[in-house]
Amino acid sequence: MSSFESSMKEIAAKHEIDVTKITWEIKDEVVYFAGNAHEWSAMVAFCQGVAKLPEVKNVVSHITTPESVQKQAIDPTPYKEMGVVKEVDVLIIGAGVSGCGIARELSRYDLNILVLDKNSDISEGTTKSNNGMIHSGYDTKPNSLKAKYGVKGNAMYTQWSEELGFHFNRTGSFVCGFNQADMDKIQELYENGVKNGVPDIEVISGDRAREIEPNLSDEMIGALWTPSAGYVEPYEVTLALAENAIDNGAEILLHTEVVDILQEDGKVAGVVTTKGIILAKVIINAAGLYTDEIARMIDDEFYTIHPRRGTIALFDKENKGKLHTFAGKAPSSFTKGGGPQETPEGTLLWGPSAKEVADKEDLGVDRDDLDFVIDKGLELTKNIDGNSLIAYFSGNRAATFKEDFVVEASKKVKGFIHVAGIQSPGLASSPAIAEAVVGLTLGELEEKPREKANYNPHRVHQKEFRDCTNEEKKALIAKNPAYGRIVCRCETVTEGEILDAIHGKVPATTVDAVKRRTRSGMGRCQGGFCGSRVLEILARELQVSPAEITLKGKGSEILTAKTRNGGLEQ
Amino acid sequence: MKTVDLVIIGGGPAGLATAVKAHELGVKDILILERDIQLGGILQQCIHDGFGLHRFGKQLSGSSYAQKFIDKVEEYNIPVMCNTMVLDVSADKKIVAVNPEMGLIEIEAKAIVLAMGCRERTRPQVRILGTRPAGVMTAGAVQRYINVEGWKTGTRAVILGSGDIGLIMARRMTLEGVSVEGVYEVMPNLGGLRRNKAQCLDDYNIPLHLATTVVSVHGKKRVEGVTVAKVGPDRLPVPGTERYIACDLLVLSVGLIPENELSRTAGIALHPITKGPVVDSSMMSSAEGIFVAGNVGAVFDLVDYVSATGEVAAAGATTYLEEKRVASVEKDVIAGEQVSFVFPQKLHIDPQQEKATVYLRVRSTMRKVKLEVVSGDEVIVTKRENFVTPPEMVSVEIPLDKVDTMKDLSIRVVE
Repeated sequence: MSSFESSMKEIAAKHEIDVTKITWEIKDEVVYFAGNAHEWSAMVAFCQGVAKLPEVKNVVSHITTPESVQKQAIDPTPYKEMGVVKEVDVLIIGAGVSGCGIARELSRYDLNILVLDKNSDISEGTTKSNNGMIHSGYDTKPNSLKAKYGVKGNAMYTQWSEELGFHFNRTGSFVCGFNQADMDKIQELYENGVKNGVPDIEVISGDRAREIEPNLSDEMIGALWTPSAGYVEPYEVTLALAENAIDNGAEILLHTEVVDILQEDGKVAGVVTTKGIILAKVIINAAGLYTDEIARMIDDEFYTIHPRRGTIALFDKENKGKLHTFAGKAPSSFTKGGGPQETPEGTLLWGPSAKEVADKEDLGVDRDDLDFVIDKGLELTKNIDGNSLIAYFSGNRAATFKEDFVVEASKKVKGFIHVAGIQSPGLASSPAIAEAVVGLTLGELEEKPREKANYNPHRVHQKEFRDCTNEEKKALIAKNPAYGRIVCRCETVTEGEILDAIHGKVPATTVDAVKRRTRSGMGRCQGGFCGSRVLEILARELQVSPAEITLKGKGSEILTAKTRNGGLEQ
Repeated sequence: MKTVDLVIIGGGPAGLATAVKAHELGVKDILILERDIQLGGILQQCIHDGFGLHRFGKQLSGSSYAQKFIDKVEEYNIPVMCNTMVLDVSADKKIVAVNPEMGLIEIEAKAIVLAMGCRERTRPQVRILGTRPAGVMTAGAVQRYINVEGWKTGTRAVILGSGDIGLIMARRMTLEGVSVEGVYEVMPNLGGLRRNKAQCLDDYNIPLHLATTVVSVHGKKRVEGVTVAKVGPDRLPVPGTERYIACDLLVLSVGLIPENELSRTAGIALHPITKGPVVDSSMMSSAEGIFVAGNVGAVFDLVDYVSATGEVAAAGATTYLEEKRVASVEKDVIAGEQVSFVFPQKLHIDPQQEKATVYLRVRSTMRKVKLEVVSGDEVIVTKRENFVTPPEMVSVEIPLDKVDTMKDLSIRVVE
């Protein structure tokens, strides 16, 4: 038996995986598993263990478990018959922060760029449920892509936020220690952070930490302090990137799913989408949770995405100002996940948790997820009422078993770039990833494009009404009276801002899309008052029946039928 | 900056009653600021009857009840600004509001009555787990869609919460052809008025499941079903009692919270139980000259009481504006045995006033009880009630001359 086999079997035994029920094959340092196993999380732990073996580059798992979800592949034939509908230079699959960041950075070149997404809005996948943390980079494995792009990307956020005008607070972050074991772990993290090049990292006393952040627990004895960490609203960053990319000539096509990839002479030729064929010279796979399925279309599947679900809890604005900086806990063993922080909009946010789930679309919240997030928050802080919860939700991280990013050109098919496994610190890394992908793209193109003379890195953005001074508010309403009509009372969102969102560069067509752009419905009443008004405005502006307006895309219609007399207005 | 004697924030039943009464008491410079496009507040969408039994001796619809006050406001020519949202109130009574026609409006008021009402509690406050699809709505939102916009929001509904709005909506949806699977209530007793259960559930054979709650929601895009479970005395689900119910709409009627964002900006002290401002019996809050009317102070179950508190606030504000308010002794009213809260929380002992009305909620359902107001060791008021229950607020009048300001004052319920 080879050394790989004996190590692998040892890992299998640890996770009670029956090796007689699985098969394996090793190609180019990638292990391909098939067969079946008794339980999803055991299968994930097993594959993660194998991926850690030094000779293993990554792990692909086609092992099924009772929890596995069978996905029906879409037959591309009818869509192929729709013929060529578009031709571009660079096609990006996925309009999350990775895809939109890449589009924006590429838009400085004289290229036709198209971003596709199967959802009804940008940032509808992993991005929207991110906690918005721009990690400092103390906990990533030295020499990993996460370490390289994380620290670099963090530094690049200053420029991004200045050019693109999104909210960014560089307030720092803590890892809190409550006993000597925690402090030992914190020392390890400190040394790790130094290796990764985290600026101004230090270990400080509990009292010093409470000086910076008074509502940290009195029980805390010391902390790792990294002042470079910061916070953004992830959907705001993504929208800013998308708008700026559009300003510089890129296009975004929503509701469009890639069902196949076309090749010619070992090179990509284009994609078959649910809207027809789109020809492209370079295809960038930034499909988040679905990157492995896209890679399979060109037979270059060398990683598997196993969704790791994170639950986040948001608290009422009455807590505003009680906490500014992120506080995490020294990880005991393999516990991962975030802790309490304040978003740039002043909302107290706790989480996310971390749980392996079999279904990429499983966005449920279980009792243990919520308990984990709330208990951890209560342990780390004081003077915060755990009952002032206003919302909680889950998102799925797009993790590979190697638990590192995959940012590279395909070795099999020319013109195809993998941007996969982008999970924490993916948001922090996105500027550096975008920069790297620009380099890869230029390498895949046969002719190097020239830089545009008229590239404009600055986004023109209307300041939010709630952030305006009284004089600015007066001027806005004088310009357009719709800014004087408050639709969302909890977050003070005006009809003018909702109209801007609906008629924006990336038009908001759903209630959730309006929410992500304006904050309407994000406050304490969670859309109880404004929901019906937003729906009415959407129907009016999009010139459709209110019954066609959805919460988050087709199938999530809000109204079912007219009442007998059709309401008061009739 | 515009100056106004009395600004009333909110044109619902509390604000309307305040305006009418203040005018009748002689205040001539009044302004009502209303965020909606018309007066009436939530009563506009309450087309069912049952309003005004105490005040008018007959059952009116919510909108007819409000109209009686709106007619008076019009008759008295009391100025109203609709479509106007107040953004800020300061402790020194400066108001910043906004509307599309006038833009940003700055007003200096001599007295203010806060009458912003309340809002519904939402899903996270009752910790419902699962997914977040379309088809989870508060009862008030469903009521607005059906009664005002003319749209149904589902075909098969489960209602969580047996508060009055939940009961009313069970009937309303049934009448519109929505199949109402049942009303679930986490508490072991009904959350709303008994008459509403009889008229809205029993008459339509809609089952009420007590001590049962909705645990989780299923469905990715639209609600496909919910899991319900029995709860134990700790109100937590009992394992093994879970039941899946297919439905496409979950309606939440899980309580109301006073809407006090503006009270907070003004730095007004709030009460931890009522969640509204702490007020004295003239309805004045901790901020001098800022009064409170209706549900913004404490959530009432009857609109008649809401109007009554508006009238008390109007009298208090009038006295204040006439500079006749006496700087007298304030006496805390303690919620005693079997009383969960009292409203107002303090008596303003004013020799010009004979008595003060105090509202309270009892802790549990009881029969044949006595409400006793105790000053020191002496019972100064006794009121007999045949039946008391937490959802039904009780009022008691306290003769101010009998209150010994040197001794503790409390209200208790004894069997």
